[in-house]
Amino acid sequence: MSGKVSRQILLYGVVCLAILIVPVLVDDAFLLNKYARYLIFGMLAIALSLSWGYAGILNLGQATTFGLGSYCMAMFLKLKTVPIHTGSDGLPDFMVWNNVTELPWIWVPFHSMPVALLAGILVPALFAALLGWFMFGGRIAGVYAAIITLAAMVVVNLIIIDQQSYTGGFNGITDLARFEIFGLTFDAYSASTYYLVAICLTVTLFLALAVSRSKTGLILQAVRDQEERVRFFGYDVALYKTFVFALSAAIAGLAGMLYTIIMEFASPTFLGVPLSLSIVIWVAVGGRQSLLGAMLGAVLVTGVQGALSETEAFLETWTLVMGGLFVLIVLFMPKGLAGAFEALVRRFPKAAREGGARHAAEQSPKSQPHLGGAL
Amino acid sequence: MTAAREQLLALKQVTVAFSGFIAVDRLDFEVASGELRCLIGPNGAGKSTTLDLICGKSRITAGEIAFRGAPIHAFREFRIARTGIGRKFQVPSVFRELTVRENLEIGCSRDPGVWRNLFRFTGGVDTERLERLAVLVGLEDHLETQAAQLSHGQTQWLEIALILAQDPALILMDEPTAGMTAHETNMTAELFNRLRGKHTLIVVEHDMGFVRDIAETISVMHQGKLLAQGTADEVSQDAKVREAYLGSGGIGHA
Ligand SMILES: Nc1ncnc2c1ncn2[C@@H]1O[C@H](COP(=O)(O)OP(=O)(O)OP(=O)(O)O)[C@@H](O)[C@H]1O
Ligand SMILES: [Mg+2]
Repeated sequence: MSGKVSRQILLYGVVCLAILIVPVLVDDAFLLNKYARYLIFGMLAIALSLSWGYAGILNLGQATTFGLGSYCMAMFLKLKTVPIHTGSDGLPDFMVWNNVTELPWIWVPFHSMPVALLAGILVPALFAALLGWFMFGGRIAGVYAAIITLAAMVVVNLIIIDQQSYTGGFNGITDLARFEIFGLTFDAYSASTYYLVAICLTVTLFLALAVSRSKTGLILQAVRDQEERVRFFGYDVALYKTFVFALSAAIAGLAGMLYTIIMEFASPTFLGVPLSLSIVIWVAVGGRQSLLGAMLGAVLVTGVQGALSETEAFLETWTLVMGGLFVLIVLFMPKGLAGAFEALVRRFPKAAREGGARHAAEQSPKSQPHLGGAL
Repeated sequence: MTAAREQLLALKQVTVAFSGFIAVDRLDFEVASGELRCLIGPNGAGKSTTLDLICGKSRITAGEIAFRGAPIHAFREFRIARTGIGRKFQVPSVFRELTVRENLEIGCSRDPGVWRNLFRFTGGVDTERLERLAVLVGLEDHLETQAAQLSHGQTQWLEIALILAQDPALILMDEPTAGMTAHETNMTAELFNRLRGKHTLIVVEHDMGFVRDIAETISVMHQGKLLAQGTADEVSQDAKVREAYLGSGGIGHA
């Protein structure tokens, strides 16, 4: 049991290390920016794996909380540009164009970095907690919950586009200052920003791993398996689901903040249906019940997509391939690539190790050390 | 005999109607602390529904359910469970994707809070207790087995072990021996006899041999009402009970 856990920690550690040494091998700021973007998508996949893979809550609006985090960071970085990019009254440029005369109250707290950073995580988490409490308290589950998450995203998206004078509307918030903290400046195209993202990813991955390995994580899996049954042991199922939904949102919010730093703007497209559905596909491909699998699924799919995007014709084919792949995986590989990998590992090394020396009597289910489950 | 004991559960004039159909009809039913009560009756008599009402799975239409003297019928399911009521379902329901050990960990629900459980990891304080429970139901060699792989009888036992892990004062068992071999049924009877006194049990069962092995008092339900109550011999000689069972081939074959 504990051997299995330490193998899992080892595997996760090795992958994170590999991610962290990339800038040593790649000395191309443009590439690093692109890779950092893939890693951010990996964080989104971890977020969805927690709610969908562990607790069975299919969130078709994961991009909502991602976008909220992204806007929090953009508001903070926009105010840092004031008064350079502004009109007469020290307001962000788009507000001046919209005839706003005074900084809206909702923007005022974003002068402070600690507030802005906290908001980037807490605003999405609170949003999800409220939505979750409403859904799970009312015993809305499955497809209906999925549809509500989708609808909520559309609503938030419309509000952002509609409230142009506060949010920059369709164009989003652009022309941002660089993110600075502890005397370090994070240029979107730099190794330091890549490290920032990679470290956030590592922390997120291990935090999510700890949650999934805790008793709370186990109870969430039981909820996924048989929600009704869990209640009769005295667990407040709605509270558990709301918790994981909010945690997932907090991770997505963090990813959104990093995305603003990497992209140097925030846009309503960040809260879009295409991104939300893409996250679902990455997680399904990688394996929704494996945090690492989901994360690598996102990196892999977006990586291949990025490589193909140089050629327009290929990209279209790729969209088709992705759609087909998704259908195949849902039908034949419910545990995604991670599940397939585990099945492989379970089969081969066991045969190699157990050949000869071991007695048949020892081969009880308990005494089969393998990498299976390590993902 | 029961008079000396303290009353634990009391159903008073409990009625439930499912879109007009009255499944439980002004039922008065009391169980004393430490008692092992068997609840029998022909198919559709309302036995499972009665257990559903006690544990909160269904809501009463009228009447009152009191546990330790306080009404509980308005509580949500998890609150009822926390007051000390555990339920084994007629269709065995365990967590099939999880291992036996993980299932038992879920069963240990003394600390049901999200926050507390976030800082509790597998292989924690409960390990010894879990393994003792697994031995008790003969699953000690299957701790790492996925629950989906267990036989029907083993699944029944796992669910029984889950309830014991939960350690409620009152245990509601819905047909615990269904699908068990004769040998397994005997083992279960032995187990229940050991639980006697430590827990209060209400056991719904069709197998009259099993009921005779474990019962002190038997309550017979028919068409949502309590028909008779007494020892095994008393109820099987009761004219109303014989009549109720006539259609289903006699008591014990229901
Ligand atoms: N949720 C429900 N909605 C509608 N009818 C129900 C519901 N639950 C139970 N019933 C009906 O109530 C009656 C009593 O059912 P119940 O399951 O309590 O019987 P039982 O005594 O447990 O029988 P069995 O021995 O077959 O398990 C049945 O006619 C059943 O169809
Ligand atoms: Mg029944």
